[in-house]
Amino acid sequence: MLATNREALVRIGVQGQVSHPTRRGGYSVGYDDAPVMRPGMSGVSVNLRVGSPAFGWACDHGEPGVSAEGVTSQRHLALQVMACIGNRVKVVSGPAAGATGVVTGKHAFVLIDFAESVLRQLAPGDRLLVSAWGQGLELTSAPEIVARNLGPELLEPMALEFTRDARLHVPVRFVLPPEVMGAGIGMSSEWANCDVMLHQPEVVRDLGLEDLRLGDLVAMTAQDHRFGRSFRPGWTSIGVVVHALGPTPGHGVGVVTILTGPERCLDLEVGEAPNLTKLLGLPL
Amino acid sequence: MKPQTNTATLVESQLLGEVTSPELSGSVYTVTRDGLPFVPVGCGGIHYNVTVGMPVFGWAADQAQPGVSLENPDPAANVGLSVFACVGNRAVVRSGPAAGAVGVVTGKHEQFDTFQHVLVDFPQPVIELLVPGDKVAIASVGVGLQIPELPSVTFHSLGPQLWERWAVAMVGGRLEVPVVVTLPPQLVGIGSGRVSAATSLALQLPDRQTARDVGADDLRIGDIVAVRDWDGRYATGYRRGSLLVGVIVHGASRLPGHGPSITILASARDGAIVPAHDPAANLARLLMAGTGRAL
Repeated sequence: MLATNREALVRIGVQGQVSHPTRRGGYSVGYDDAPVMRPGMSGVSVNLRVGSPAFGWACDHGEPGVSAEGVTSQRHLALQVMACIGNRVKVVSGPAAGATGVVTGKHAFVLIDFAESVLRQLAPGDRLLVSAWGQGLELTSAPEIVARNLGPELLEPMALEFTRDARLHVPVRFVLPPEVMGAGIGMSSEWANCDVMLHQPEVVRDLGLEDLRLGDLVAMTAQDHRFGRSFRPGWTSIGVVVHALGPTPGHGVGVVTILTGPERCLDLEVGEAPNLTKLLGLPL
Repeated sequence: MKPQTNTATLVESQLLGEVTSPELSGSVYTVTRDGLPFVPVGCGGIHYNVTVGMPVFGWAADQAQPGVSLENPDPAANVGLSVFACVGNRAVVRSGPAAGAVGVVTGKHEQFDTFQHVLVDFPQPVIELLVPGDKVAIASVGVGLQIPELPSVTFHSLGPQLWERWAVAMVGGRLEVPVVVTLPPQLVGIGSGRVSAATSLALQLPDRQTARDVGADDLRIGDIVAVRDWDGRYATGYRRGSLLVGVIVHGASRLPGHGPSITILASARDGAIVPAHDPAANLARLLMAGTGRAL
């Protein structure tokens, strides 16, 4: 039985707002060397949602549902760091006031899913209150494995168990090798995510990732994400796929880390792992 | 035989940087990949006892920069400085007691969201005279370099001064380039997805065993190295089949995802660049007439 310090975690209301898309001018250069100017980051996406395929969208880092931001850069950083996957969110202004949603990931923004009827009512500037809960979470019966960005609302339905030899058994949908881990390496584990460089069809095929979906649980091998994201033989990190493929080199599909630990402490089961939609009861 | 380049068509232009001084954030401590707090010493300012040719490992410092780091205080001009300065370009001190002294560009170092420095080395007596704020002009030349008969090879930050002394050769229709070591793609850390002409790309060597396993145990600042399956035509990214060549510009790091970084010199996607093992492929020998600061 997995024990945690759940009762010691402080739950804090952190304000955010629905972001507005911004542009900084010129084109980016895509993986195919073509100039790129596509939507995807910030705002409200109604048709790209958790559970959608990670590939095949005409987007740039396509963020599902609502992309929320803090109103100042310091407040944005606090929102980014404190929000955890699974956390509850309440709309506090605008025509959708009172509606509730769920944190499903982080990128440049905090990604939140709402019922489709709510998504259609939300607009940039609408205020949101995130019930931030999870940073500081410890797995007290597996102390070598650390949790990051993992709300108790997600950990509990994952129903993790130990093997007979005391390793934590974690079902994941896919495995990502270290050479595809791109932008996000070297940055704080609690901030945004790590892009996985899945632009080449032959790489996607060889890794068996054609059916990758937003909300899938994945294992990242030779990755230590305790105090920032880093290549390190002997360590494994577990994450959630949070945004669709971005077309620029060095970027790709975003993964937020939820667990990281020594390889010997984890027992991965690769294949039929539940998607975030099932674990969190999405869409609402 | 060395291939013909378009060097005669490259425009030379003057850039201006100022000698930097180290900066810290208010919290002072940063955190290693093992979760230990430490004070990061090594970036920004004048490094009296770190120079090109020295080992990347073994410093009680983080990402120790050799020589002097420059930036332009105007952010847009600093982007220009960072893109157009090329390794091997001539640098001349413009102000202060060292005015008129000549140095050489040895690399570029970008720390994401923190700084973007151009690294220049000078003879030791000049280093001793420099102070933060001294202005240094760089005669930039190299951006746009091409081999007309090998258009699939992209060059960045490669000054003609380095090109002339680096024993690259056309062999069987491909460009053979001397490198100290060829490294695997999973080492590449921060610097992914950045502009190839300006960024630095970290090589994650989290422990000596990993360094030994990839043959990078004796890596030195100034070593020219290759990285398999990485591309840098426009922006940096994993690309199976590509090859990236760069020069190590600073020392090792205890930060997650960091390590000794390379400034990108060349890349090709189609096998047009072939690395040739040469333990002497270091800037200290190629640009500085021996080790240390003897220019």
